Amino acid sequence: MDMDQFKGKVDQACRIAEEFTKLYYETIDKRRHLMSRLYLNTGILSWNGNGIKGNEQIEKFIIELPPSDHALTTLDAQPVLDVAVNGQLTFIIQASGTVKYQDKSPKTFQQNFVVTAQGDKWKIVSDCFRIQEPLNK
Amino acid sequence: MPKPGFKKQWKREHDDRAIDTHGNYEQRRVTFKLGRGHGGFNNKYKNKDLSNAIRDHLEEEDIDMNLGSVSGKNFRRSGGYKKGKGHRGSPTPGNYRKLLECQSGWYKVSIPYGGNQEKSFLQKLFLDKVAPLSFWPIAWQTNGTTVIFYVDEYKVAEKLLSLDKQVQLPTGYRLIVKVHPGSPNISYQDLEYSKEKLKLVLAKRYNTNNKALDLSKFHADPELQDMCFALYKPIILSTVMDIVAQNIPDLEAISLNNNRLMNLETLKNGFKKTPHVKILHLANNKIRDVANLDALMKLPVIDLVLDGNPLCNKFRDKDTYISEVRKRFPKCIKLDGIDLPPPISFDISEETHLPDGQQTFLCNSEGEVIVRQFLEQYFQIYDTENRQPLLQAYHEHAVFSLTMAYPYGYGKEKNVSWLNWYNTDNRNILKLTDGDRRFKLLRQGHLSVVSYLQEMPQTKHDIHSFTVDLTIFTPHMISLTISGMYKELKSGHKIPPTRFFFRTLVIVPAGTGFCIANDLLHVSNATPDQAKEAFKTPSLPTPPSGTAAPPSTPEASPIIPPVSVAVSPILDKSTKEEMVKQIALKTGMNWEWSLKCLEGNDWDFVRAVGVFENLQSQGRIPVDAFVK
Repeated sequence: MDMDQFKGKVDQACRIAEEFTKLYYETIDKRRHLMSRLYLNTGILSWNGNGIKGNEQIEKFIIELPPSDHALTTLDAQPVLDVAVNGQLTFIIQASGTVKYQDKSPKTFQQNFVVTAQGDKWKIVSDCFRIQEPLNK
Repeated sequence: MPKPGFKKQWKREHDDRAIDTHGNYEQRRVTFKLGRGHGGFNNKYKNKDLSNAIRDHLEEEDIDMNLGSVSGKNFRRSGGYKKGKGHRGSPTPGNYRKLLECQSGWYKVSIPYGGNQEKSFLQKLFLDKVAPLSFWPIAWQTNGTTVIFYVDEYKVAEKLLSLDKQVQLPTGYRLIVKVHPGSPNISYQDLEYSKEKLKLVLAKRYNTNNKALDLSKFHADPELQDMCFALYKPIILSTVMDIVAQNIPDLEAISLNNNRLMNLETLKNGFKKTPHVKILHLANNKIRDVANLDALMKLPVIDLVLDGNPLCNKFRDKDTYISEVRKRFPKCIKLDGIDLPPPISFDISEETHLPDGQQTFLCNSEGEVIVRQFLEQYFQIYDTENRQPLLQAYHEHAVFSLTMAYPYGYGKEKNVSWLNWYNTDNRNILKLTDGDRRFKLLRQGHLSVVSYLQEMPQTKHDIHSFTVDLTIFTPHMISLTISGMYKELKSGHKIPPTRFFFRTLVIVPAGTGFCIANDLLHVSNATPDQAKEAFKTPSLPTPPSGTAAPPSTPEASPIIPPVSVAVSPILDKSTKEEMVKQIALKTGMNWEWSLKCLEGNDWDFVRAVGVFENLQSQGRIPVDAFVK
């Protein structure tokens, strides 16, 4: 792949990352009943090490969480190399920020998404979320 | 309007004292306890009553800074009962002296010349005489020839007073018994010395099975008789609660029955660190008003006992009482030992809890061995001075980027280890809007990635702190997330800072092993809570740099061939060509000299660049080298 073509992909990755995260955090904070639409049917979520498979199950899991309010601090994105995804347009997005559950004091979190194009929609292949605190707390 | 004159003076004097000082002002009993227990319509009386109560309390709080001065002045002036009579104006027959019941419930008994008798003899004598009542003489001491001790029951005190000059000793001497309201003082120093003993007593009174602590009638504990550990004294209560907070933060039940507690503010502070107390027994204390309970409102109390407190008598009916309690403790289902009808609530619980975190998630258990070996080998090399061997761990076209942020609440303050080093290359696209800059901060190609990794501060990772999430595991692609802590070494900090990282890797198969295609690293500081947990388990010593890392889990090695992160310094032809190209780009030298430079440095890219820069700065690179 030549340099310009790759740069185009990098630009796109950043743009999609901005749009995607805006939508994702708005949906998880305010419209959780739509969460399943963001994932592939076979999508996977690891929430603080708790694994959930399938978009319906993920939505169910997220709905059970206390009310949340996310705010992003950093965002980064890369196109996944073709060798890994056989040319299928796929991005990897990494975010960090703070999340408040039920008006408690904010916690720091980090999260990543593998997002791929399915038809004319972007869908989450995998989603990994971690709160920055000792596990045995 | 009360009569002017000395009464007014009285009042002013007392008011001033109450405001001015919590110190050692003289102890005087005031007996015009008007308005006590009556409605609150007469403010003046109410205040007076209250100021009495507060004064009582403050007096008890006095700390005797110079021990042994259980002074004569106290003696003389604490004869408040005489004055009391006067104020009431009730004619009392001749020598009859009545001891008035005091707020604190503590009485000081002094026996002039009692010191001439054996302690055991006197104790037995008194016990016999007050029978069928019984008592513990607390803080027994002899001051000169005078014996002093304290009792915590009005009836006992009254009975003892009645013995004055009524008991004839074998010598013919009639024992003088003086009784005044008053409790023993305790010094900070004594309290400090007593902490270890208090800890043992608390341990004895704690039941680990149901997380219950029994502090009922604490001062009467047989092991605490040398001093007066009365919990109604804020200083004692806060000392005890400090020990509780430090040692039993998960406390769920506590009994404080029979402690003459009045002010709950001290408890409020104490309970801040034990927020799970749901069973709270406060029977037979001196809590005057249900509003005093506001101090404890934050506790999730479900079982409350208030029986035997003045506040209980203030309610018209039981329903008002229950409703006032429920206002403060909505979850309360048991009051004074009686089950309450459950409160009617909504079917949606207010509070949902976050699921507990797990250290590892593997979407496919087959991935475990590969992931573990890959990470062990990767970080063993990463933690050495020379990260060059990681070239083998990256795909030829691998991409890498870095972001950084301080954890919430631990930003750029004085005692925080700044993350400036990482800030320079922070590819935070929320702030970085320029497309070219975004592109430039994406390191592309394994040489560029590894040479950047080499520039990064040296590290020592705590592999035991790692969390691992394997979310994609297919024959073509692995997606792996690692977070954990490392110490940053030799980066100019006095104490190596403990950092936290969160890293996403896309890994693809390569040859017999695997290599990284995408790498996104996020660096932060460990929070103080995290730092406490870091490096608790000692790790294996790191092998010297450049040596292949042996698989450190013996059971894993026979199953699959070693993952090819393992270092071999043999580079294939295309990698070498790429390296020459990169050196040429970086130094401006021609192909021939770039090749020479790399060969001369055993194909160590970073070293080659270093040597070039060194020679160049000394002007020792011939012009020929730059002719293309």
